[in-house]
Amino acid sequence: MQQEVEKYSKPTRILHWVHLVSFCILFLTGLVLFVPGLGVIAQDSWTRVIHRVAAVIFILAPIIYVPMNWKATLKGVKEAFSWSAADIGWLKAAPRYYFLGDETGMPPQGSMNTGQRLWWLIVLVSGVIFTITGLVMWFAKTTAPAAVLQWMVFFHDVAFIVAGTMLLLHIYLGLLHPLMTEAWKAIYKGTVSVEYAKKHHAKWYEEVTRGKEVKS
Amino acid sequence: MTNHWNDIANADVIMAIGSNPAENHPAAFGHITDAKERGAQLISVDPRFTRTSAKADIYSPLRSGTDIAFIDGMIKYVLDDIDHNPGNYNMSYIKEYTNAAYLINPGYKGPADLDGLFSGYAGGLNETDGNKRKYDKSSWQFQLDEKGIPKRDMTLQDPNCVFQIMKRHFARYTPEKVNEITGAPVDTFLQICQTYATSGQVGKAGTILYAMGTTQHTYGAQNIRSYCILQLLLGNIGIAGGGINAMRGESNVQGSTDHCLLFHILPGYLKVPDDTDDTLDKYLERVTPKSNDPKSANWWQHTPKYMVSLLKAWYGNAATRDNQFGFHYLPKIETGKNYSHISLFEAMYSGVIKGMMCWGQNPAVGGPNANLERLALGELDWLVVTDIWHTETANFWQRPGVNKADIKTEVFLLPALNSFEKEGSVTNSGRWSQWRYAAAAGPGVAMGDLWMLDWLARKLMEMYANEGGPNAEAITQLNWNYGHEHPDVHAVAKEINGYDLTTGKLLPSFTKLMDDGTTSSGNWLYCASYTEDGNMAARRDPTPGPFNIGLYPNWSWCWPVNRRIIYNRASVDLNGEPWDKNHPVIWWQGDKWVGDVPDGGWPPMAVDPENTKYPFIMKPEGHARFFGPGMAEGPLPEHYEPWESPIKNPMSPQQSNPAFKIWRPDEQGTPDKYPIVCSTYRLCEHWQGGQMTRNMPWLIEMQPEPFVEMSEELAAKIGIVNGEKVIVESTRGQVYLTAVITKRFKPFQMNGTTVHQVGIPWHWGFTGLSTGDSANKLTPHVGDANTMIPEYKAFLVNIRKV
Amino acid sequence: MAEKAILYDATRCTACRGCQAACKQWNENDEFIPTVENGVQSVNRGSYENPPDLSPTTWLKMEFREVTPDGKVRWLFNRRSCMHCTDAGCVKVCPSGALYHHELGFVAYDKDICTGCGYCEDACPFDVPRYERNFVSGIAKMDKCTFCTTPGLDRIAGGWEPACVKTCPPDALQYGDRDQLVAEGKKRVEALIAKGWTNANLYGEKELGGLHVMYVLDDHPAVYGLPVDPQISAATIAWQDVIQPIGWVVGGLTILGLGFNYLVARANINREKEKKDAARS
Repeated sequence: MQQEVEKYSKPTRILHWVHLVSFCILFLTGLVLFVPGLGVIAQDSWTRVIHRVAAVIFILAPIIYVPMNWKATLKGVKEAFSWSAADIGWLKAAPRYYFLGDETGMPPQGSMNTGQRLWWLIVLVSGVIFTITGLVMWFAKTTAPAAVLQWMVFFHDVAFIVAGTMLLLHIYLGLLHPLMTEAWKAIYKGTVSVEYAKKHHAKWYEEVTRGKEVKS
Repeated sequence: MTNHWNDIANADVIMAIGSNPAENHPAAFGHITDAKERGAQLISVDPRFTRTSAKADIYSPLRSGTDIAFIDGMIKYVLDDIDHNPGNYNMSYIKEYTNAAYLINPGYKGPADLDGLFSGYAGGLNETDGNKRKYDKSSWQFQLDEKGIPKRDMTLQDPNCVFQIMKRHFARYTPEKVNEITGAPVDTFLQICQTYATSGQVGKAGTILYAMGTTQHTYGAQNIRSYCILQLLLGNIGIAGGGINAMRGESNVQGSTDHCLLFHILPGYLKVPDDTDDTLDKYLERVTPKSNDPKSANWWQHTPKYMVSLLKAWYGNAATRDNQFGFHYLPKIETGKNYSHISLFEAMYSGVIKGMMCWGQNPAVGGPNANLERLALGELDWLVVTDIWHTETANFWQRPGVNKADIKTEVFLLPALNSFEKEGSVTNSGRWSQWRYAAAAGPGVAMGDLWMLDWLARKLMEMYANEGGPNAEAITQLNWNYGHEHPDVHAVAKEINGYDLTTGKLLPSFTKLMDDGTTSSGNWLYCASYTEDGNMAARRDPTPGPFNIGLYPNWSWCWPVNRRIIYNRASVDLNGEPWDKNHPVIWWQGDKWVGDVPDGGWPPMAVDPENTKYPFIMKPEGHARFFGPGMAEGPLPEHYEPWESPIKNPMSPQQSNPAFKIWRPDEQGTPDKYPIVCSTYRLCEHWQGGQMTRNMPWLIEMQPEPFVEMSEELAAKIGIVNGEKVIVESTRGQVYLTAVITKRFKPFQMNGTTVHQVGIPWHWGFTGLSTGDSANKLTPHVGDANTMIPEYKAFLVNIRKV
Repeated sequence: MAEKAILYDATRCTACRGCQAACKQWNENDEFIPTVENGVQSVNRGSYENPPDLSPTTWLKMEFREVTPDGKVRWLFNRRSCMHCTDAGCVKVCPSGALYHHELGFVAYDKDICTGCGYCEDACPFDVPRYERNFVSGIAKMDKCTFCTTPGLDRIAGGWEPACVKTCPPDALQYGDRDQLVAEGKKRVEALIAKGWTNANLYGEKELGGLHVMYVLDDHPAVYGLPVDPQISAATIAWQDVIQPIGWVVGGLTILGLGFNYLVARANINREKEKKDAARS
């Protein structure tokens, strides 16, 4: 039996999944307005109803999560905004790594590697943009000036394009990329193998194992 | 209308006064717009800036009820200008075609001499009795020569000639005086004078478009007289693009007037018999005008032919020479007695009249002093209302604030067809009788008026035959034959046209009518409308016709004898050459008239002085009247204030018209309590008493509620904002309305005096899909001295915040 | 096919509002009337103008303006309805194709496939589209003048003129080939200028690539409450012409890139594995 180490707590995993599912629903019900050929699907506004239900979940989930997991939140947010020279090294080495499986140039990573933190930053920023612009479009549709509403649509769309494409990348890496063998398990069961942790998140592994027994 | 709708496009100047055609004649307004696009100037004179004013080149305000002062001022301007620039006017028209040169009885005195009165007043100034408030008109008559022909001074210099009398009369109406009376700014007034006077040039045409704003005054007929005088001075009668054009407020009011809607006339404007007419001959002697002038056609000399033919149409074989063609079957009115709207309702109120058939009208909304008229309905034993909806008149017994149990009147409502559900003719303002077909079937048991009348008449004939009654033969002898169950409207139309009774053929023209009982005609004016060639009113040939002035001679049919512009022989000079060769109406070419049907086919006055006739053939003397000795309150229009006025008459000590009957002196509002002038009017979106339009969702949406329009200045004085509710009250009643505060109303500045005016559309009542207060709760029970048309257009109110 | 248009001559218009009623009547749109049944109170708001605004059931309304240039009052009437632009902001932003250009040039509308997004409402320079919208659920449908081409009520396909034009008593509205109406409009403007209306203009000839409802005005458009030089908004352009294409490119490249990466990475990693396995064995 391989040794396992906890990567994500249960509340974090729940938040992840709730957010992912709601975001995917938002993504798909938003996509029908992006792709003209799909417009027919959206007729009679039923996709908008789903979009709004999903939006409520999307917004409420972190609001519930944050006060209950205050420390984790702070740590996570801090991480999203902590950048160093090592990240540049990672970015330089990433293509060789992701295409060729060549790990030699990869600097040791924390609980989230540079790519993940980049994604995490996008999630945070776009989440805020989606929420603000979406709420304005929802509740100020008849009161806000047309120009304001139009810019809301614009930024919602920008966020959609950035977050949407990155979501594809995220899902790809999580599910399909040949090297990301345990990412799925990490967010599903919450643990990764020690071997995987050492290999992908060396710094983090050091941190969590310092003075602690590795869970088996 | 002397002219017709399409002809307005020929005008060079158009003056809409006492009318708001853009609002009330929206379809016909296109002709005015056409004229404007051809370069015509549109002048709008109105107490408020209306939809018509919005399209006008010049707008002038005038206080309600001051048309005479305004027009008299214009007449003064023209008379003065004639002195200086006679070349700008058609002097030969004035001398030859009007009575300008006539000499008047030297005993005649005018308001300048008699403090606002004319000579011959009977002296009932402070009385209410109509019989004392009148004139002895003998001093107003024309001087006659030894042959009995009016004397003329063709130099227009004789001090007793009409032209000189006019100069004296109108000289008092200076621009400053006009401003003092009307509130029209002097510069705007002069601009209008200048603009309108250009139509006095030979070859130019000006038209006056008027409506209820002109007529609904205690001196409404004199208002029209003032237009008439102005138009004659400018040579505008009889020509294309000219005329005095009454725009009728209802699609067939012209037709119904032609066919004796009013109490004092029979079909074709024959006079109604009165109790002095013992015999037909005596009646004909009284009503047939005479002329000793061989050059006067005096068309009414044919009255006996028209009267006998009418009796033949009504009584058929029962009308014989031996029984005076059934003349004694006709009801006779009491001499001098008035049977018009106000009188009838006063008679109902006092219990004289016990029953009423109210056909397609809504007096509980449209009648003056509506509170009183609603009370009067409650005095009836029975009331039959014929309409297409429940109306306020039919529902008067369940009006707000009334205990149903207190009203004993038995009310019947007969459901009628609307105008699109029945076949027949409609005569428009331009005298065009246009045949229409039923476009749709009516709902339920609704029936046409003709069906109802036919059924009623046949039932009455049967009952009188069986049970007898006073003057039963008047009913039983009727020539009533329009088919069974469903009367044939064509049979009626043919009867109106008339037959040659010797051949049974339809007559081609009223010139064939006889006074010996061999012809019949239900209305001589309509003789030629339905001939052996067919139904002329049903013609629809869109060819403009002669001279391309838009006569459309083969589109429908026009009385008389399809003459589209009446008095058209005044449109040519003495040689029969048109004054305006670009818009000729008729033209003497070779030995005949070309163009419109001429006003009599006689040769032009200079071409054949022996056989010619003067052009104004309906006047016994043959000339148009500047000086009109037949009017109740004077031969020339003089300014009087409305019965209720905010000021003392600036013109003379005579405050109001001395010749109209005052019914309820105690209901006269005074400016101390009621300082604001009020007028009533209609909206484009609604129609009359609202029976039809207040049940139409589309129209209600556009004009949902009654309102009172007022100036920003008055609103500030009362302390209200736009859209706020106010109470408007007169001595007769009060109404609760939304205030529409607008720049389109301005206080009148009358030589230092400020007068506020407001206006209320009168369409609303308590029945139907859209309800609201009736403006006529405020209006007084007084009417014109000649016609008794109620004074809806100028009365006093007070306004206060709710 | 020759483009069609409506020419509205404000100088001929008397604001009788036959057009407003005819529009509702033909298109079977409900009215605001003070009946218990529909619960909507229609009231006088201190003006002849009513209803107060365009709405899903009011596609055309006449505006009344009281202005006082040089102290003299003028009462101006103006038609308020879809302008049927050539460069139509609404068509540009409509995500479903419900709004589209008719082959005769004007902006037609297929209500069935309207998603209710509300984009056209904000993109229209003339503030014309109106929605019936449930605030909470977001269920919505747009409505506007369809140039009488609403399926089942299509007058144009029937060879007729639009209902508003048909009913106009003073001929202030004309329907016909756009080229001819431009010429007619210019002629009228020249006549107005000759009469002294020096600011007279033909509104809509050039605006937004050419409107299919053009106005003959005797004064500056602003006096009539019309936007001077209307434009498609910067947001619409930034969104539709910049961001949307970028979105397509980025989205497309991402998918392609990921596919490529998968193929390359799988091949390489398998090779590495094989190497390792080979080394191990």
